Amino acid sequence: MDTNLFTDRSIWTMLHGIVLGGGALLGLSAALFALVTMRAPRAEDAAPERQGRDIGWLTTFVAITLWLTVIVGTYVSFPPYRATPPEGLTDLTRYPRSFLLANPGTAWLHSFAMEIKEHVPWIAAMLSTSVAYVCVRQPSRLLHDAAVRRIAVTLLATCFVLVAVVSLLGVFINKVAPLD
Amino acid sequence: MATSEQHTIPTNGTALAAFLAAGIGAFGMGLVVILNEAGVFAAPALYNPAGGVSGRTTLAVAIWLVAWALLHHRWKERQLEPRRVHAATSILVIVGLLLTFPPVWGLF
Repeated sequence: MDTNLFTDRSIWTMLHGIVLGGGALLGLSAALFALVTMRAPRAEDAAPERQGRDIGWLTTFVAITLWLTVIVGTYVSFPPYRATPPEGLTDLTRYPRSFLLANPGTAWLHSFAMEIKEHVPWIAAMLSTSVAYVCVRQPSRLLHDAAVRRIAVTLLATCFVLVAVVSLLGVFINKVAPLD
Repeated sequence: MATSEQHTIPTNGTALAAFLAAGIGAFGMGLVVILNEAGVFAAPALYNPAGGVSGRTTLAVAIWLVAWALLHHRWKERQLEPRRVHAATSILVIVGLLLTFPPVWGLF
């Protein structure tokens, strides 16, 4: 579907960056807050079971959105980004990688920013999956074991920073060489 | 005396296996990337339009899943010292991230 406003390529880019990447960032914020404020229950307290279940859903949402983000990014958005332009073409705007590399002032957006974007989000997806697995399979361990909770918080916080940085780099790239 | 609640809490081996495996996956990603950049080993592209990144990321995911399966099998019934696993996971993640950082590639 090509309309005057958006092309297929730009819709996929928005799905990748705004819907999925943005959703993951929102979910990460909420999951981090929930994990940090999680406390071991008192005997009469009925809320923790629900708290554990909610955190399980939240971290699962984060993991799924991150996997969808990296899969769409790698297999849908990246191929047109890296496509080789036909010989002799002077207008490279349809070929973002070649467009960026053709100008020394923007070459870093490929050689630094896109190179980071190719690999780092996959690490974030793995880290978030490990936390989601523990939250879903062992909520009681997470609730009662501060050491396990600390590792989960460390990994989720790392995820948050990685996704935030990678998203920012994506904004820079898309600003200069949008996938239209 | 242990309470009935304590009896229902599983050992920490399963959780720590998942965390350490994620660290190994992160390190695996860094290793695959740096080997590719150094010209030592290039993972074949699994999807040509995406190029080598499809092979590198798939290989790193495979390393992660195999490590997770092995660690889970060995640790699922065990109670382990979490601090060591925390430190090892953090170091693996940091080294893995450094190896995917383009300015580092020039050192190899």
